[in-house]
Amino acid sequence: MLATIHAATLHGVSGHPVRVEVHVADGLPAFTVVGLPDASCREARDRVRAALESSGLPWPPRRITVNLAPTGVPKAGSVLDLPMAVGLLVACGELEPGQVDGLGFLGELGLDGSIRPVPGVLPLVDAVEVPGMVVPVANGAEAALIDDRRVRVADDLRGLVLALRGDGEWATPEVAEPSPVDGGGPDMGDVRGQRFARFALEVAAAGAHHLLLVGPPGAGKSMLARRLPGLLPDLAPDEALQATRVRSAAGEALPVDGLVRRPPWRAPHHGASPAALVGGGSGTMRPGEVSLAHGGVLFLDELGEFAPSALETLRQPLEDGTVRVSRAGASAEYPARVLLVAAMNPCPCGGSAAPGGCRCPSTVRARYVRRISGPLLDRFDLRIAVDRPDPVDLLSGASGESSADVGRRVASARGRAVARGVDANGALDPAALREAAPLSEAAVRRLEAELHAGRLSARGLHRVRSVALTVADLLGRDGPLDVDLVEVALGLRIDPFRSEVAGVR
Amino acid sequence: MSGEHAAAAEDVQRSHLVALVGLPDMGPARLRLLLDGRDPVDAWEGLRRGRIPMALSSRLGRRREEVVARWTATVAGTVVAERWAEVAASGQSVSWYGAPGYPAALLDDPEPPVVLFATGGSVAEGAADRPRVAIVGTRRCTAYGRSVAVELGRSLAAAGVEVVSGLAIGIDAAAHLGALRATDGAPPIAVVGTGLDVVYPSANRDLWERVAEHGRILSEMPPGSGPTRWCFPARNRIVAGLADVLVVVESHAEGGSLHTVAAALDRDRPVLAVPGPIRSPASAGCNRLLAEGAAPACGPDDVLGVLSLLGRPASPVLSAGEAPEPADLGTDARRVLDALGWDPVVPDALAARTGLPPVALIAAVAELTDRGLVVETRGHLERRGEERS
Repeated sequence: MLATIHAATLHGVSGHPVRVEVHVADGLPAFTVVGLPDASCREARDRVRAALESSGLPWPPRRITVNLAPTGVPKAGSVLDLPMAVGLLVACGELEPGQVDGLGFLGELGLDGSIRPVPGVLPLVDAVEVPGMVVPVANGAEAALIDDRRVRVADDLRGLVLALRGDGEWATPEVAEPSPVDGGGPDMGDVRGQRFARFALEVAAAGAHHLLLVGPPGAGKSMLARRLPGLLPDLAPDEALQATRVRSAAGEALPVDGLVRRPPWRAPHHGASPAALVGGGSGTMRPGEVSLAHGGVLFLDELGEFAPSALETLRQPLEDGTVRVSRAGASAEYPARVLLVAAMNPCPCGGSAAPGGCRCPSTVRARYVRRISGPLLDRFDLRIAVDRPDPVDLLSGASGESSADVGRRVASARGRAVARGVDANGALDPAALREAAPLSEAAVRRLEAELHAGRLSARGLHRVRSVALTVADLLGRDGPLDVDLVEVALGLRIDPFRSEVAGVR
Repeated sequence: MSGEHAAAAEDVQRSHLVALVGLPDMGPARLRLLLDGRDPVDAWEGLRRGRIPMALSSRLGRRREEVVARWTATVAGTVVAERWAEVAASGQSVSWYGAPGYPAALLDDPEPPVVLFATGGSVAEGAADRPRVAIVGTRRCTAYGRSVAVELGRSLAAAGVEVVSGLAIGIDAAAHLGALRATDGAPPIAVVGTGLDVVYPSANRDLWERVAEHGRILSEMPPGSGPTRWCFPARNRIVAGLADVLVVVESHAEGGSLHTVAAALDRDRPVLAVPGPIRSPASAGCNRLLAEGAAPACGPDDVLGVLSLLGRPASPVLSAGEAPEPADLGTDARRVLDALGWDPVVPDALAARTGLPPVALIAAVAELTDRGLVVETRGHLERRGEERS
């Protein structure tokens, strides 16, 4: 009268194996779930009972105890509905133990007996160590990404029981509608003029350098940023799997074949809380936007409107490429390697950043600027000003190269970075950079002048050098970095908030 | 009465004035009503007994009792001689309405400052009765405005004109900077809104000290007064009152410089405005002044012409003309310089106008910046006039 079913529960973006033990005994009819289920997991009792009865399967009027082992790990969500139902059927003799041998089960039950998709199937399937898996039909493609596993799909409980008994056919995996994430996004070819901003995007994509666009409303900041993912190469296989895991764990839509191959694009609203950005939550841990953008672009529009506390939480993930979220009950680690692109107005009035171009009192502007801390600003290797295009320039500005053309240059630049042992130059540490990018004498003098003038910090020097290296890669140049490349790197790194006072003397 | 006695009486009056102007909640308008032809000593003694003139009383309105009580208390706790000693020790000179050395231009002013403090030996004007031109404008100026202000300040000072401005950042500072740069030029005059020992804005400290050294800084605020919201508009009326002509170099559509313009018009002073690009917000106020009938100031000659109409001849200077173009620029740099107007633009616009690829564009801009022909502010590039220190 005891059955054990293999399943898993989600914890952060990784799965934990769970053994669902079902015991059916004489006594007053009851249904108890033990082993730290959360509220939605405990509610499985009612779903399982209704699903069994709707499917014409017997509900034993006896004392049923379900134990979720290991009992110390909290279990969340409805993913254990199906394992409980199957365990119950085995325990009361509807199925033979041999018929479920070597199989793991995942899925949520509807009251009508249907088997519904659950988030995080990829990491869940990965966690269960049995040769075969049964998952909801809508999760089939995703589960199949773990390629050494025999994945079967089921769309309702009745059909599943028949298939297990050998009396019926297994359901066929469904072909999902293509989801919007498959689209490549808008193309660079649509951008008129703005050659300089396009170049900054190209450098950002080639070197994985974070980019800050400063300009008044209507300058095309979001329009430009939206085109950045299209310049990035496809995700590497392991990165694609990581990105898929995160998206799966968050219950977000996945591409048709289940694997996230294109760099994701995330653009959280500026009202986002720290937990929404880096992940967390009190009960169920959920990955944040910075993890959902893993391998792709995190776009923060209206950077100045984000809560400073939320922005500061991004600093550590930007540095380490991972987020470790700790709460009283649990902690979780998420991948978070993103290309950060931010856009902001130069001041609250929405005027231009040009000298004399805004009507905010200097105190108002100072307060606005203070929201962006120096250390955060320092994370942006590329900082450029954009403005509403001059109508004359707009009409004469030819539409430029397509994303595919620019993407080829980006890919070849990244190829050179890979030869240095990193994905992109932005990830080179100072020692590796010194070796990869020696400076010409003139370049050293130029940088020394910047350092003496106090316009560059030691950290900034390192970043300028890495941007210069990326530009050299894009131009296909070898040898020591010359002064013109350093000029380009400096020209792409403006101080967007310098006040006029400094210019008086 | 002997001359010694008169001098002593004058000292007593002066010290009481300084004590009066240092009272809490005392501003220029209140002080004017309080004195209104009275002897400062009498006014001080009146306050000691809580008595103030009717006109001031009605002006104070509901806060009358509170303010008078505070004045009475302060008067009781102040030793006039000590207060005077502090000011005298600071090296500032003091003048008051009607006293010898008080600027003649302010005598028929509708709201003359009762007291004027000045750096250096005396408040009085220089030996020669030189013409004076006020050069004012926005604090948030462009490189264009800054270079025009420097050029006007330099040329006018060289022509023997005393340049009057407010020592604020932006145009004011540039005008003073230009005036100081003239060789053997007339000394600049700054009128500030704080006490003379409170340098505001502190970014202008160097300039402040140089103006104090070569010219004069005036204030109607007693030593120790910090910046307040009302003190700058109040200062503007003195700028307008002192000058024979007012020139607005750059002003936003609702700029503080327009207060100075209003004050100048109240005092029948001619107002000139420097035309600016129609797309530049920093010139919107100036262009509107021109539309409303202000004379255009396209160079120092325009200003000098107005002065001579007023019967204030200044020695003519050579017209500023074009800034000399350097001959040995690179081809790309030359193209960029030609494409760059006097209003600030982002590199995108330059790329569109010159057709240069970004890397070449940056190299050209770097060359121009290095030569001091172009300046970058918050990612915007603009040409730079002759203004470097």
